[in-house]
Amino acid sequence: MVPWCQVEVLYFAKSAEIAGVRSETISVPQEIKALQLWKEIESRHPGLADVKNQVIFAVRQEYVELGDQLLLLQPGDEIAIIPPISGG
Amino acid sequence: MAARQEVLALQAEVARREEELSSLKQRLAAALLEEQEPTPERPVQVSPLPSKAALSRDEILRYSRQLVLPELGVHGQLRLATASVLIVGCGGLGCPLAQYLAAAGVGRLGLVDYDVVEMSNLARQVLHGEALAGQAKAFSAAASLRRLNSAVECVPYAQALTPATALDLVRRYDVVADCSDNVPTRYLVNDACVLAGRPLVSASALRFEGQITVYHYDGGPCYRCVFPQPPPAETVTNCADGGVLGVVTGVLGCLQALEVLKIAAGMGPSYSGSLLLFDALRGHFRCIQLRSRKPDCAACGERPTVTDLQDYEAFCGSSATDKCRSLQLLSPAERVSVTYYKRLLDSGAPHLLLDVRPQVEVDICRLPHALHIPLKQLERRDPESLKLLGEAIREGKRDAQEGAADSIYVICKLGNDSQKAVKILQCLTAAQVLDPVTVRDVVGGLMAWAAKIDGTFPQY
Repeated sequence: MVPWCQVEVLYFAKSAEIAGVRSETISVPQEIKALQLWKEIESRHPGLADVKNQVIFAVRQEYVELGDQLLLLQPGDEIAIIPPISGG
Repeated sequence: MAARQEVLALQAEVARREEELSSLKQRLAAALLEEQEPTPERPVQVSPLPSKAALSRDEILRYSRQLVLPELGVHGQLRLATASVLIVGCGGLGCPLAQYLAAAGVGRLGLVDYDVVEMSNLARQVLHGEALAGQAKAFSAAASLRRLNSAVECVPYAQALTPATALDLVRRYDVVADCSDNVPTRYLVNDACVLAGRPLVSASALRFEGQITVYHYDGGPCYRCVFPQPPPAETVTNCADGGVLGVVTGVLGCLQALEVLKIAAGMGPSYSGSLLLFDALRGHFRCIQLRSRKPDCAACGERPTVTDLQDYEAFCGSSATDKCRSLQLLSPAERVSVTYYKRLLDSGAPHLLLDVRPQVEVDICRLPHALHIPLKQLERRDPESLKLLGEAIREGKRDAQEGAADSIYVICKLGNDSQKAVKILQCLTAAQVLDPVTVRDVVGGLMAWAAKIDGTFPQY
């Protein structure tokens, strides 16, 4: 049984609009593939599917590809979902 | 009696000065037009800047505060003087960026913008002033910058950056700053920089958020490495719809200027391969480590498929402007013009006008007889809102005379959201959640009302 931990998800730009929150704490397995972690977050906010292919997904302030890479999360880790903005 | 005479004299003086001011504005507009005269299809030719061996006495005084910085010094200042920077977009980012680059003594600034100065620009586009409303932004910016530092050569390009012109233009400059306001231009600028081998300092801002990164610098990733696919057009919010605070574009434009200066002076940028996020509401800066260059990137990868500039509007499914898009969700029979609606209103025909804008926009201005239910509440079938709407429809039916049509007219700012609302109301009546009623929307919304029907109605 993989232990779970609480992590903080930060939503930026369009993803904050879709999620309706700027940040939230969620409980996830400590060992999880990047894509699974995304799906966990997407299941809470299905509208995020619209921006999945355009976001920077960052764990502990570092870009992570949405694939099979196994993440080892620590309690309090920061997950950021960052869609590009194009205004100016 | 004396007081009365003074009033009259002052009135006459004010009138005289207003006339003088208006004549000055006309002369200025004419002079600017003349300056624009060689509106070239191909960009203005510029020769490479000559290298510089020493600073003059005036230059030493002018730049003294930055010359004494050991990291910059005379060496860095001489490099700035021979550097050229292409600024794509003279708006909220481009204005502060250009202002600081000119002040710091960058040799040449290319200023690209196809748009004209509008009153709604002035709250953030700080190089443009009231007197130049209606004039090309590229010329307005150049005029302000020349007043600031006459030694800096400003080259205005009052035209859109296009796939036909971008590569040639980018090749004439050492560093490129993307200060544009739309997705197709961001991909165009990126690809041109990759093809021409130029570093790209890219910033963007919306609402209270900003982002800045340096792309394609010293083996770092390009915009396409990070964002290989453009976002679906309907998920992109522009500054007109989403809003933006001028200070936020100002902060990002200044950070962009800093990165450009460091590259131009040979100090190296800070945000190559990383993305700085600014959250102005909470006062947070966060730096995200980005991916490294993508070996299979379409633009900068080992086997690039982007070997020439393409049709970026087709690639992104949106136009290379930040103007609001016009949706066509309804048939012409389901829509009425503001003129038609005005006649209907004057005739006293029973109907319900439904304003579906967000509350913050209703606070700016409204038609007093409209019922207000934001589109968002209709989209999520908010029970309170549906109850309110149902009651309004039943009341209307009671008041309407025998045989009178029961009509709802939906209005918003520009006539996009109103179409979405009509679709929702049609579903609700079909599902008998609402009583049967004809629903139409007003083409062009309240901005068309302001432009064609009521000149006193605010535009925003």
